[in-house]
Amino acid sequence: MAGEISRREFLKTLSTGTGAFLLGSTGLIPISESLLKTDTAFAAQIGTFPREETLIARILTGRVGTPDNFNQWVGWKWQDRGMQNLADEPLWSVDFATGEIINGVAAGDPTYNADFTTLTVPLREGVAWSDGTPFTAADVVYTVETLMAYEGFNAHTFFVDNVESVTAVDEYTVEFVLKQANSRFHTTFLDRWGCTRIFPKHIFETQEDPTLFTFNPYVGCGPYKLHSFDPQGSWTAWEKREDWDKSPTGIMYGEPQPRYIIYQYFADEGAQILAQLTHQLDIVELSADGLKALLAQAETSRAYQPTFPFVVNNDPAITGIVFNTARPPFDKLDVRWALTLAIEIVEYTSIAVDSSGTLSPVHIPHLGPYPELYIGPMQEWLSEFTIDIGNGETFAPYDPDAAQRVADYARSRGYVFPEDAEFTTKTFGYGWYKYAPDIAERLLVNNGFSRGADNMWLLPDGTPWRISYMTGTVLSNHDARNAVAAVQQWRKFGIDATVFNTENGADLGSVGDFDVETVWPGREPWGAGPDLYRVLDDWNSAYIKPVGERAQSSYHSRWSTPEMDDIIRRLRETDPFNTEQVVAIGIEGLKEAVRNMPSVPTYGYIGFVGWDESYWTNWPGSENPYAVPYSHWPNFKYVTPFLRPAGQA
Amino acid sequence: MNFVKRYLLPRLISYFLVIWLGITVVFFIPRLTPNDPVIRMIDQMRARGSTLEPGAMDGIIEDLTRMYGLEGSWLDQYGDMWGRLVRGDFGVSFFQFPTPVNQIIGNALPWTLGLLLSTTAITFIFGNVIGGIAGYYTRRRWSRALDALAMVIRPLPYYIFAFSLLLIFSYLVRWFPITGGSSLGALPEFSWDYIKDVLWHSTLPAASLVVLGGVVVFQTMKLLVQNVNSESFVQYAKLGGVTEDRIVSKYIIRNAMLPQITGLALSFGQIFSGALITEIVFGYPGIGMLLYRAILNGDYNLIMGITVLSIVGITTAILLVDLTYPFLDPRIRYV
Repeated sequence: MAGEISRREFLKTLSTGTGAFLLGSTGLIPISESLLKTDTAFAAQIGTFPREETLIARILTGRVGTPDNFNQWVGWKWQDRGMQNLADEPLWSVDFATGEIINGVAAGDPTYNADFTTLTVPLREGVAWSDGTPFTAADVVYTVETLMAYEGFNAHTFFVDNVESVTAVDEYTVEFVLKQANSRFHTTFLDRWGCTRIFPKHIFETQEDPTLFTFNPYVGCGPYKLHSFDPQGSWTAWEKREDWDKSPTGIMYGEPQPRYIIYQYFADEGAQILAQLTHQLDIVELSADGLKALLAQAETSRAYQPTFPFVVNNDPAITGIVFNTARPPFDKLDVRWALTLAIEIVEYTSIAVDSSGTLSPVHIPHLGPYPELYIGPMQEWLSEFTIDIGNGETFAPYDPDAAQRVADYARSRGYVFPEDAEFTTKTFGYGWYKYAPDIAERLLVNNGFSRGADNMWLLPDGTPWRISYMTGTVLSNHDARNAVAAVQQWRKFGIDATVFNTENGADLGSVGDFDVETVWPGREPWGAGPDLYRVLDDWNSAYIKPVGERAQSSYHSRWSTPEMDDIIRRLRETDPFNTEQVVAIGIEGLKEAVRNMPSVPTYGYIGFVGWDESYWTNWPGSENPYAVPYSHWPNFKYVTPFLRPAGQA
Repeated sequence: MNFVKRYLLPRLISYFLVIWLGITVVFFIPRLTPNDPVIRMIDQMRARGSTLEPGAMDGIIEDLTRMYGLEGSWLDQYGDMWGRLVRGDFGVSFFQFPTPVNQIIGNALPWTLGLLLSTTAITFIFGNVIGGIAGYYTRRRWSRALDALAMVIRPLPYYIFAFSLLLIFSYLVRWFPITGGSSLGALPEFSWDYIKDVLWHSTLPAASLVVLGGVVVFQTMKLLVQNVNSESFVQYAKLGGVTEDRIVSKYIIRNAMLPQITGLALSFGQIFSGALITEIVFGYPGIGMLLYRAILNGDYNLIMGITVLSIVGITTAILLVDLTYPFLDPRIRYV
């Protein structure tokens, strides 16, 4: 790149560019695309790699802190640097676009005995590790026994608590005997951004202490092998295996297309955007504003959806508001419902995500199989559901037209997108809760709340009602976006609500030192599979601790009911592969959560992904969502056989 | 003997006292915050999808506490810390477990030192030389133009300035890379090609620091020279027929340089804290981001490792300035 421009040209461009930038930044003139672009020259090389054979993505979790250590079974090892997403194959993973289980090194579902104390796992034949050694049941047995033998492994406690023995029935079948019934034991091997991965026995068994082994170079059953890495952790390069057809990815989907895939670190969003504009970064994940800026400038970039709202709206996590039900007044159901009904969801999603979120009235996101299995079938119940508002009166809080109202509002602001009902439902959801400040007022008054002289709400003891909404410090993240929107709505309703930004939310949340926070209103359900055990079990009363002690679950509302405990117990005793039964019990669990509203689900997590089509095309966009669209997800390896070179050189 | 007893010894005692106090404060402060490294690690692994069953939390906390060496009272841990420290061992990083802190710092420090030592030196030399000349010839048109330019540049927020450099030189004219300390695929080796590559990647980060830092040194030096120039002893020398070269070098610059040298010593000491925003904008490696993440994650050992360097660096720089001041300033004597 250097040396291709004369001094005169440089000075001319520099003065024009600087002038345009300065004028543009003062608003005197708009920075036009032509001023900001010099050329669209495509490079033959990027670093030492042939560009047209190389795909470059960003490491989501930042600069790798342990560049030469790939032992991801101990501590945190930046698994999205390519380990989980290219070089490793789990037993199973989930396609969250469909909720279907993908068999990796497993050949099919596990089979439990009647009382869930043993399970048998069939393994895929014909798979080899990237060094050529065949993958067999001995690897799985060795993995479990080794994890149980050394305290330093992350999964040590789990396996010691659960596994009585593990044996290889034959070369491709493993049998686990469990210490007690556990119908979801297999999910520890189910990859949905992390799982228990399998060791290559022939490598780890040579180590005196496998917890101290750096496992460099990484050897996995995935279609890529380690090529090189930056000792500073800025990038990790992976190369397609010559025997890619011995990886489950190759066996299932064919040959991966990029010869090299590099995961690179970018600390600054602006640098990410510039890198894609100059075709040095094929996949970016940005903030809402960042994606807008990219699409406005780039000729060769595309988003997940071709029209508004552009975003990836099929992430398996639901965002929203979490109340600390162990702290008054959030221990009162009426107060939680009042705060829910004080929200005008059209304004809320406009503030939070520029109307691009998909609403969900229940504690799972509106994606994959959930609209069909859960949210759709629950519409009738939601419409008939009522809450007690005193004096023997009830109120039906559900608004089935909420999503349509969000769509209408977005259209009124000039966004163009299809008008058909199917698109509206898929993009904006079914419905949400009514904006009913009068009912919210009544619920509060019934509980002794009153308004002061300034019309602001007072607590039953007459002191001003102040709500501190705890959230993180990255203002573009969805926890902060929900916080800002909720606080604005509650202030409008007359509550002195404020946002409390802290880096320490996890700790404060864990010991219950907060009023309201946002992590997730319901736990992410194993990558959108039909089984909601993981969602509901976080409301298990066994995990609740008094305020001041650390909660055992990742969920901080400290809420449970005997009814929810019973639902969890029944789900635990149900075969997880019996979809009809798990859905029936799951619906009961979601109804119990809605009745009690310990947290308010708002919209599903949305991602702002940009793909450059200069070198690679056929990305898994909304028109062809053949796989998970995120490059940091383990399923990214399943995207690689479907990519097509664009032919730039 | 008088020098040792009345000058050197009190300064050495103060030197070691400050280091001890600094390290003790750095040991206790992170432990006084509600930021528990064990819980941070568990949260991190959960947030990133690792399977940690809720019911197994107590066992995991117990295992991690033992592995991190956080068992026992703070006093026990404090004693262990000094035991390791005198051997130059900071222990292992919690967040980058089980990598030794020494190795992590050893990887990042050369990048920080390379960038900040060179930019600090360049900033100091150019800022003082140009500032000194501009201060002496303060009525000249070019001097006033430089002053005006410095007044425009100095208030620019560093992030905006650095990103503007990136926008202009990496995007508009594409002379320099957008991110990183070296090219994709380039592995460290002692070859001209690799050195060239690193220099190429360092140019914009260095330019951002030199320009914004340089104008500060320039303005300070210019004002210092202007002040000294108006002192009566300088006027007297001029009236007495002392040559202009001698007035500038012996009367003005030597006096104006004294506070600048103290500033330089402190700047060198602060190098060990890194340049966080430079590392973020340019994706440059270094210990700034390392320290930031260590604080966020409650990585006590890594915080200790980096801050010990910083404490020792700053106190040593101050000690050296103290010891060399009598050579620079004739008004100070070893008595």
